[in-house]
Amino acid sequence: MTIEWQPLAGDRIVIDDLERLSFQVDRRAYTDDDLAALEMTRIFDRCWLYVGHESEVPAPGSYVARDVGGRPVVMVRGSDGVIRVLANSCPHRGALICSQPAGQTRSFRCPYHDWTFSNQGDLVGVPLPDGYGPGFRKADFGLARHRSDSYRGFVFVTFDPEQPRTLTEYLAGATEYLDLIDDQSEVGMEVIQGAQLHGARANWKLMMENSVDIYHFRALHKRYVGYIESLGSVSPRRRGGFGRALGLGHAANELTPAAARPLAYWTPMFPAEVRSRIEATAARFVDRFGAERAERITGTNRALLIFPNVMIIDAIGITIRKIDPVSATRMAITSVALAPKDEDPDIRELRKSHYLTFLGPAGFATPDDIEIIESCQRGYLNRTVRYSDLSRGMNKEIPETTDELPAREFWRQWDRLMHGDDGHFEVAHRGEMVAHRAETVAHRGEMVAHRAETVAHRGETVAHRAETVAHRAEMQGAEPR
Amino acid sequence: MTTVLTVDEAAPVRLWHRVSQFLFREARLLDEWRLREWYDEMLTDDIRYSVPATDVRGEKADALGLIDDDAARLRQRIEQLLNGEVWCENPRSRTNRMISNVEIVTDRGTHLDVAANVVVYRFGHGRSDAYVGKYRFELVVEGESLRVRRRVVVLDHETLYEHGKLSIIL
Ligand code: FES
Ligand SMILES: [Fe+2]
Repeated sequence: MTIEWQPLAGDRIVIDDLERLSFQVDRRAYTDDDLAALEMTRIFDRCWLYVGHESEVPAPGSYVARDVGGRPVVMVRGSDGVIRVLANSCPHRGALICSQPAGQTRSFRCPYHDWTFSNQGDLVGVPLPDGYGPGFRKADFGLARHRSDSYRGFVFVTFDPEQPRTLTEYLAGATEYLDLIDDQSEVGMEVIQGAQLHGARANWKLMMENSVDIYHFRALHKRYVGYIESLGSVSPRRRGGFGRALGLGHAANELTPAAARPLAYWTPMFPAEVRSRIEATAARFVDRFGAERAERITGTNRALLIFPNVMIIDAIGITIRKIDPVSATRMAITSVALAPKDEDPDIRELRKSHYLTFLGPAGFATPDDIEIIESCQRGYLNRTVRYSDLSRGMNKEIPETTDELPAREFWRQWDRLMHGDDGHFEVAHRGEMVAHRAETVAHRGEMVAHRAETVAHRGETVAHRAETVAHRAEMQGAEPR
Repeated sequence: MTTVLTVDEAAPVRLWHRVSQFLFREARLLDEWRLREWYDEMLTDDIRYSVPATDVRGEKADALGLIDDDAARLRQRIEQLLNGEVWCENPRSRTNRMISNVEIVTDRGTHLDVAANVVVYRFGHGRSDAYVGKYRFELVVEGESLRVRRRVVVLDHETLYEHGKLSIIL
């Protein structure tokens, strides 16, 4: 790679000023082609990247083919039961060895010259082998096996042979949130079939920022707020909760639900018939995990950003949103829903139905997110306005969810990696990790305080619900029919 | 050579014509954003409107799709679109629906299974998109009038990477 981008002092992309409590990002980060190319080598070629969920390859031979970090790969469970991430490129002359998006097979046959590979990646068949000399060994021509690993069902890959961190080390504080998701079923979570494949004409980082931005919720999503309020839920301007930096660019928001949660949090948004079932599930969680952790699993929403390009949002449903740069000004978005494998069929229907109202390219919220980030991208064409501001909450000890701490955590890691600090300097980071750990401990104290707040909010919710019902009655009376 | 159509032979032609006119009127009301009129006059009370995912395309009943509206949610969608709170449809998209290959697949007397091809062009916020798909409708015959009870739009796109979103009614 010949592109070199050496930021000069005073020409930085990310300006993080802890004294003036100012955090600014030069908008070239969203528009510049050279920076976009450099991101591929300094970020996507280096980090651990999300590939998929183990439930997508349930049986020996199951596979999915997709692009990760701009590279076509196949995630496949071999006949030996082991999940591998293989290069979807023939070692002979390059063709995709798998052109189906998903399926089950004992072997992959390259359509170009019929080389055949086992579902573990070994080359097992070459037509007309007499054309090769004695030095040709099949063992040298298996499909490239990428370094992959999984954490609680979430499979990641890294294309950096020298990536110094194990997956668990890389995930840092994000593991706590993956635990809160995978703990939602004793028999495991599964991806529901039917992916929402969409995109935006905007830089990929805008979607990452948007996904952890709660500040915009009441402004941009008036129609969704109106919708859930019409169903008897309440969305106060300030909700209990907080944003957290989880280290190494990962971040999360944790907040009081604005609506119901299909796992175990009933509000009048859901039919009365399922109330007892949902509350029984909630009680089982208390038995399994104790009141405090059960409350956190079942009665709290969260949005987890895993650096660089995956978001897991756990609210009215759980979505895994993988965001891939296509160019400086375009991205592809792949969203799937995650749910407990052993879910009651009625609740599963509710989950799917409400998932669609909020999430996805035709929901009552996501289309506005897509349009607004495209609007930002167009706004950047006016280069006179050079910086975007992400300083909300720098003045607070405990940033709220409406602050921009998660985005800052993302950008700080982006800045480190773009400067070539790709984690090979473990020693430097170790200090950081210690600091983050201290932060985590501090946050835990915070959590306890916020939980009390959550309980208070729930009381409020009940009051508001009564109010809403009253208003509705009023409305119906007032509206001419 | 001249052929005289018997009454029996003319009936399916008339029905096909009625169904086609119905679909064209629906397209016009949607293009003109006369969504309440469309909802009130052309749909049944138990209408279901769905758009399956582009990968599994409605082949799996338990799969998640893009849209799965019952009457209440469709009404919500319409009210939201009309009241100006939908930022991505304000100003409103300009749309043009082209319908062809109208076919009465099955005539069950009280209702008809109808198939058609559709292209919906959408312009707005500086972008232009075309949604290409197949209509799979169940029409209820009530005397002289028709109403839609099941309205499935199966998109032919592999992905919506280019479109980004689907904020109009297809
Ligand atoms: S390119 Fe695959 S067999 Fe030749
Ligand atoms: Fe949003």
